[in-house]
Amino acid sequence: MAMTCAEAVQRFFAYLDRALVGEARDELAAHLQACLDCCDRLAFSRQLDAFVRERLPDSPLPPDLEARIRGLLREA
Amino acid sequence: MSAGDALHGTERAAEADPGARARFEALTLPHLAYLFRLAVRLTGDAHDAEDLVQETYIKAWRAFDALRDASRVRPWLGQILSRLVLDRHRAPAHEVAVGDLVELDRFSLYERIDEEDPFPYSDHLHRDFLAAFDDEDVRRALRALPEAYRVPLVLLYVEDLSYKELAEALGCPVGTIMSRLHRARKILERELWACAKRRGLVKDDTPWR
Repeated sequence: MAMTCAEAVQRFFAYLDRALVGEARDELAAHLQACLDCCDRLAFSRQLDAFVRERLPDSPLPPDLEARIRGLLREA
Repeated sequence: MSAGDALHGTERAAEADPGARARFEALTLPHLAYLFRLAVRLTGDAHDAEDLVQETYIKAWRAFDALRDASRVRPWLGQILSRLVLDRHRAPAHEVAVGDLVELDRFSLYERIDEEDPFPYSDHLHRDFLAAFDDEDVRRALRALPEAYRVPLVLLYVEDLSYKELAEALGCPVGTIMSRLHRARKILERELWACAKRRGLVKDDTPWR
């Protein structure tokens, strides 16, 4: 039986993460071939992943952190 | 961890082999910048990250004998750090509360944007919606994720690990990783929608559906 949109959506993230294999992957691929709406939804999920990935927090390395760690390791 | 615990471990390893600490430092400190960056990404806070990295080095030093393959030192350190984040926030007995899971699984930011249509004249509605957020909005949404969801998601984004590798790194079944990564994204979608409402981007007043 053909996959429904609701079933397809449940597999999107595993698909994007390359964790979907074999029959599960083939079924989703077949659904995407036929369903433009799900293609758009999947494209948005991919876009959102990239959007968040590019905005992960960052902060410069504190210059004295290495010395503090060496000190901690040396304390005996 | 108390300072006493840390010192005890240091004494033991140093007594066994006086050159061990120098070898440990030579092997692990080149990865300090990587570890700090990972810690900032996992915690979302530079001060937390500093504490976490120091704790990671103490723990790694105490477990140095367990490192079998020196070429794997970076993932080994990353794993110690990631598990520390999870352990610090491990929920006592039950699953971490993220609200109604059925509702969460059903939540679709894509559909909400479609329904609300905040940019009626846009040819790229969903893209324009995302562009309305600044970096801090995204970081706040990430911080809203319980650690059990944030850690695998950030590791996936940063390290591009497979589900099997994530499961090994975090010491849980592959099925757990899969459901956590699915729900992590759903929580993020929900948080971004809540942020859009706070910002007045959308006027939606219905509960999450």
